[in-house]
Amino acid sequence: MKRKSLGFYIRIYFKILAQNLKSQMSYRADFIISTIGMIFTNIAGFVSFWILFTNFSEINGWGYYEMLFLYGFSLVAVTPVQCLFDNNWNLRRYAFSGDFIKYCFRPINLFFYYQSEIFDIKGLGQLAFGIGTIAYSWAKLGLECSILSILKMVVFLISASLVMIALQNAAAASCFWIENSFYILDFVTKLKDYAKYPVTIFSQVFRFIFTFLMPIAFIAYYPALVILRPEEPSVLSWLSPVVGIVMFFISYKIWMRGATRYNGTGS
Amino acid sequence: MNLKKYLTLTRAGAMETLQYRASAVVIVLGNLLYLTIVYFLWKAIYASSPSEVVNGMTFYDTLIYLVLAAALAASIEMYTVWMIGRDIQSGKIVLDLLKPMEYRSFYFWSMAGSMVMNFLMTFIPTFIAVEIMTHGAIHIGMNIVWFLIALVFAVLINYSIDFIVSTICLFTESIWGINIMKQVIIMLLSGATIPLAFFPDKLRAVVDHLPFQSIYNAPLSLLLDSTGDVRKAVTTLATQLMWCVVMTVISKLFWNVSVKQITVNGG
Repeated sequence: MKRKSLGFYIRIYFKILAQNLKSQMSYRADFIISTIGMIFTNIAGFVSFWILFTNFSEINGWGYYEMLFLYGFSLVAVTPVQCLFDNNWNLRRYAFSGDFIKYCFRPINLFFYYQSEIFDIKGLGQLAFGIGTIAYSWAKLGLECSILSILKMVVFLISASLVMIALQNAAAASCFWIENSFYILDFVTKLKDYAKYPVTIFSQVFRFIFTFLMPIAFIAYYPALVILRPEEPSVLSWLSPVVGIVMFFISYKIWMRGATRYNGTGS
Repeated sequence: MNLKKYLTLTRAGAMETLQYRASAVVIVLGNLLYLTIVYFLWKAIYASSPSEVVNGMTFYDTLIYLVLAAALAASIEMYTVWMIGRDIQSGKIVLDLLKPMEYRSFYFWSMAGSMVMNFLMTFIPTFIAVEIMTHGAIHIGMNIVWFLIALVFAVLINYSIDFIVSTICLFTESIWGINIMKQVIIMLLSGATIPLAFFPDKLRAVVDHLPFQSIYNAPLSLLLDSTGDVRKAVTTLATQLMWCVVMTVISKLFWNVSVKQITVNGG
């Protein structure tokens, strides 16, 4: 099969996206309620920090605005997985019912085609809330604001999102091997709620686990440190883009391996 | 009332729960991870605080409260909104509406089985583990009796709220957004994620006049109260009873009015 160019994929992505948005917009009420629901969760996270900090002035050397910065960072970092890779949630059902086979016969990249089919718009509310939280705490902390620092921010946000995307891809792909894989996907999705805490609050053992085994520290803490405390980022912080890319690549390979191994249900 | 037909439903639900053992392992892992995060987070919070007792709670008081709250949540969360919402979308609800039993009771008793199972398999072991690890920090006496009564009220209030929210789904046909809003409000305002003692006074005053605190805060504070204050127990139970009656009436009326007006996909 001839390799398709990147331009071809971008063009086709927007074509699929337009169709998908049209069909979602026919359920306008659902879209509005879902977006409000999403923002509700984010506000609740915000309120929790606010309640904690009315009682305590700092947590392990981290102030209120620094914690908010991490929270905002984690919200923005998990938006791409919400918006662009939401079809992973349907994978188990498609594989089980046999519908997945239809994707295998398209003359384009299977992973690309499958993921492009759904764009989850309700994630955009979270994106807006996350950016607002970052901007608010950024201003309150008086962090340096230059083109370079914003560029750094974008690069490290993307690296962080790749980690979350990779975790979810791998978890979703487990359905090709395991029957009741919903709980694995659900488990991995909950990890993103824990990404907002600085890894320094954990003991050595758990710091190791959350860095190398369940890499949730790469969803916000390590990459955010580059902006938040520019004087003390570790090697791991600067390595986070590499970690993101490598993890994404591995998860892609796992996903594709499962998908090519798939041989339908026979119907 | 013929109790036997209800108990048959309950027994079927209990047996269904026992079928899913593999997923139970992943759920337990998820809960353990949550407790790990809670432990380190609050440890860091108390380590940064100048005094050991904050709002009348020590680190261990807070931890015991939050661990039991998580175990309780795992026992009484029945995903009612999610299930009924799905039945509405698929049209399956029509079949249940035709059953010679009031829908609200039918659903409750079907769910009661897995609730009892979850209580025995999650809450009781957690309670015993906490009791052993803290060398009997939880007093055993009349407070257990108050707790069990409060728990029944809590379950009934929680179910009525779930049922009201499910009824809203009849109109909106949007499940995800409504369900997430409900979940966020209950978990935060019931004191399941942060004990109500930490809430700022004004917010606390508002929360005390809402039904949500009757779900987690009321049973747990009765369980953890070692003073054996009968007056406090009676006031708490009376408040719960009041909310129980109010929410049951509202949910019944709302359902009876709504079910006549809606049209569902013919199942």
